[in-house]
Amino acid sequence: MSAPLFSFAGVTGGYGATTVVRAVDGEVAAGEACCVLGRNGVGKTTLMRLLTGHLPLQSGAVTFGGRPMDGLAPDERHGLGLIYCPQDRPVFDNLSVRENLTLMASADADRYAPLLAAFPILEDRMAQSAGTLSGGERKILSFVRGAAETGRLLLLDEPSEGVQQENVERMAAFLHEAKAAGRALLIVEQNLAFALEIADRVIVMDHGEVVLAGNAADMTEATLAAHMHV
Amino acid sequence: MASFLGHSAALVAALAVLPQLVGEFWAYTLALYFLYAIASLGIGLCWGQAGFLPLGQAMFFGLAAYLSGLSLIHFKDSWLLLLLLPGAALAPGLLAYGIGLLVFRGRTLSGPFFAMITLALTLLAFQIANSWNDVTGGFNGLKNIPGLPGLSDFTDLYYISAVALAVCLLAIAWLRRAPAGVLWRAVAQNEQRVRFCGFAVQNVKAAVFGLSGVLAGIGGALYAPQQNLVTPQLCGFILSADLVIWAAVGGRATLYGPVVGAVLIGILTADLRDEISYWEVILAAIFIVVVLYFRQGLMGFVEPLFERLSRRRAPRALDSPARPQASGDTGFALDDVRVRMGSVSILEGLDLAIDGPGIYCLIGPNGAGKTSCFNAMTGELPVRSGHIRIFGSTRTGNAADLLSRIGVGRKFQAPSLFPDLTVAENFNIGLWGGRARLRDLLGMRSHGWTSAILREAQARFPFLAEEDRRAGDLSHGQRQILELAMVLIAEPRLILLDEPSAGLSQTETQEVIEAIRWVSGRLNASTVIVEHDMTFVRELADRIFVLHQGRLLASGTVAEIQADNRVRAVYVGASA
Amino acid sequence: MDPILTTNILNVVYEVSTLAVVVLGLAVVFGLLGVMNLAHGEFVMIGAYCAFFVQTQNLPFLAAVPVALLVCIVLGLAVERILVRPLYARPFDTLLATWGLSMLLREGVEAVYGRGFKSVAVPLTDSIDVLGADYPSYRLLLAAVSIALVAGLVWWFVRSATGRRIRAVVNNPELAGSVGIPVTALARNTFVFGCCLAALSGVLLAPLMPVQPMLGLDFILKSFFVLVVGGLGSLVGLISGSGVIGGVESIVSAFFDRTYGYTTVLIIAILFLWLRPNGLFPRT
Repeated sequence: MSAPLFSFAGVTGGYGATTVVRAVDGEVAAGEACCVLGRNGVGKTTLMRLLTGHLPLQSGAVTFGGRPMDGLAPDERHGLGLIYCPQDRPVFDNLSVRENLTLMASADADRYAPLLAAFPILEDRMAQSAGTLSGGERKILSFVRGAAETGRLLLLDEPSEGVQQENVERMAAFLHEAKAAGRALLIVEQNLAFALEIADRVIVMDHGEVVLAGNAADMTEATLAAHMHV
Repeated sequence: MASFLGHSAALVAALAVLPQLVGEFWAYTLALYFLYAIASLGIGLCWGQAGFLPLGQAMFFGLAAYLSGLSLIHFKDSWLLLLLLPGAALAPGLLAYGIGLLVFRGRTLSGPFFAMITLALTLLAFQIANSWNDVTGGFNGLKNIPGLPGLSDFTDLYYISAVALAVCLLAIAWLRRAPAGVLWRAVAQNEQRVRFCGFAVQNVKAAVFGLSGVLAGIGGALYAPQQNLVTPQLCGFILSADLVIWAAVGGRATLYGPVVGAVLIGILTADLRDEISYWEVILAAIFIVVVLYFRQGLMGFVEPLFERLSRRRAPRALDSPARPQASGDTGFALDDVRVRMGSVSILEGLDLAIDGPGIYCLIGPNGAGKTSCFNAMTGELPVRSGHIRIFGSTRTGNAADLLSRIGVGRKFQAPSLFPDLTVAENFNIGLWGGRARLRDLLGMRSHGWTSAILREAQARFPFLAEEDRRAGDLSHGQRQILELAMVLIAEPRLILLDEPSAGLSQTETQEVIEAIRWVSGRLNASTVIVEHDMTFVRELADRIFVLHQGRLLASGTVAEIQADNRVRAVYVGASA
Repeated sequence: MDPILTTNILNVVYEVSTLAVVVLGLAVVFGLLGVMNLAHGEFVMIGAYCAFFVQTQNLPFLAAVPVALLVCIVLGLAVERILVRPLYARPFDTLLATWGLSMLLREGVEAVYGRGFKSVAVPLTDSIDVLGADYPSYRLLLAAVSIALVAGLVWWFVRSATGRRIRAVVNNPELAGSVGIPVTALARNTFVFGCCLAALSGVLLAPLMPVQPMLGLDFILKSFFVLVVGGLGSLVGLISGSGVIGGVESIVSAFFDRTYGYTTVLIIAILFLWLRPNGLFPRT
């Protein structure tokens, strides 16, 4: 098997001198989805911020497309094809929905057409400022923005948080499509059913460490829930 | 104490011998820079100790110089000078204290705001001095000010300045070591924690600023009779800037730094200004380099060595005075409390009440308003409507320091302590809060305070007995526990803990659970815990409150909550 | 209309509009980088000296504009690289470093040109009749240029792709990096842009004020007060802050004298700090 598209080993870091994430390993190959699970406050979002370059690593290494990521700023990683949709504050509240989507590109209708057809609520609110959307709608906007980008790796931090069930299912459909198109997905989730629907691999975290990792096919919801302490 | 006396003797001897070594001319020049050095010491106190930067200190120097000059002109040889001259030195202190109370009361980021206000004030002072011809003599200033009665030659002037400098240095050396100094450094590092330990931070900072005003005042009051001339420039921007540069280059956080800076740079400037036309530019560049790379300044390389040699911590041998307890009530109630941030509603009519000791857990999904509930209770978030009662009295919007003094303790989610202070000093701030009176803060005995809770905490967590370690060097888990211990030694009756197990290992979590159970029984307090870890909640909670979307969703025992379908819908809803 | 009243109104318009241009540069830098550039006023001062320099070279007044922009681009790039970027996470030290920079620039100019007042000839010496009041045409032109500049920049800020990206970074810096906005380069360019705006004001104002090394102090303080009063939230805040500070100062100074104008402004700023610390239009 060829080297995975995205891999990280011994990732350790946190805020200032505080270590939140300790020695976390993982990898995602093209066309594959890996889900990071765990209850609130175990370091999942911190892990994502370490992987995307928003926080400096205290130790460990991150490799994307065979290239070490150390010292690269978030926008440089984005340029290489690492697309990130954060959990908290996923959109620019002071910009309109349209501006959020066209910030980095011209109003490229083709790119967004299938996504906007699937999530018509956005189409209705194009001129509205994103800060007036509900939490779930913001998540959808963020998802649409990320899914439409062409980067090879998509990092999603709790995409389904606050999103209605039918829209969560539509997200899942798009993510399956993305996998089929050869994109790699790394997704943080609390919604077990959604996670297991997409995931090929699973990582469960607790107290900043990996407590369970393996193929999604080998896991049941019950085992996972037990390891998550929920 | 012995080292303090030794220090004093050495200082006095050095200052006494100096004129013999350098000759009369230099003694006279030194005398002037000693006066500036005294004012610069005030910058050291504000900036190096308490962490706020005054950019307009010359207004106090100038004010004192004008007052002293006017007194000497109008009351030459009168006994009234015995009152007027000290008055001239103290008046700027009062003014600074008043300005401090005014500016620090607005609980904003004191950094840029305070610096800019003082800068503006010094420009204003210059304009007043420059244009109020009748009193200040306008642009030409006060001329022919008589000297101090009975003192004439250069050496006399030197000794007056030297004595003033020595007295100020010794007073500051004492204060830096006293609890007051520890408190100032604590304010510089973490104002919020100082407030939650029961100190009114704005008063502490105003007092430091007042003191710096007195120091500038002493310098200015002696300047007038020494130079016989007072001009508006003494209140102005350039002297203000020089005082800051001297403190920075000499070492703002050290005792002697501002003096070394003032004397060294002052004399170099007097010597080189005419020879090197770009001298002032070079000086500004040196200042920038110090800010960028050598924040401790010159004396920062020297003084710590001596301090480490001479510092010996007082043993904890003295039981701290008991905290005044108003009543045995430990209950609180939130009644229809609403909080908004911008357009986002955070608490939407929260009702929550407990009426007796016990351990209560506050749970709920992200954004349910758990931490905001604590923030509203401790005055950190403005309450738009509703009432908060604590221990039976209305406490809506009361400041954290007041609440701390009546017996409310709070631990934050991320450890909030004083990273650059030692473990001992962290504990002391906790012990002094609500207990220490002014004279305890000025004397040395309260360094040795201890309490039963402190002893027990140190027995439970042995690393807490290694009191000379820097708090910032502790591991995350240890810092969580240190902060918890700091909250507990204040012996609160209502203890608010925000995710005390966040970032702790399994073993540490277990130790913290036991510590909370122990202390809450020991103090017979109400303990309210925000927590996500359900193992933690199951082990500790007498009663659980579930928050959802800024309201109380359910409350009950662990079993009741586990059986509650509404709660399950909120929690598992996302994963069902 | 009473000519004296007209003159006073025009004076207020002039004060407010020219102040708004200076503040705009400071506010954009503060909003995007979180850096309070205490040397902002010295860039105004450098602009004014460029106008003086051009005059000594017998070049036309407007030649000062490219000279000032060139000087400030070079200087701004160097300052951003050496002082601002390394101190990004230490806002208090940035404040000190830029304060040090302000001294450096002031002393540097003083070492070259001395402390004395220089004067720059007014390019338009005639005056225009406005509703019965005889008003100097250069002042009128300057007010018009300032209003056009602020309006143009606001329009650009709202409409252009770069303006949108700047607003995006201000709102959510973390997400901005993640969607591929080159945050570092944008911050650098914004800083340089702020310096250039200050320098441009300096050039244009030079004929109407005594040019001397300390002139920047007045601008940085007034600009800071505008931000205190208006709040850091929006352009509306900035313009209303300029209105309050510039307006009050010019009115009080007209009726009493400059010291009173200055004192009033200072008192207003302190009251705002105290009673309304986030200004008229707070950042949400």
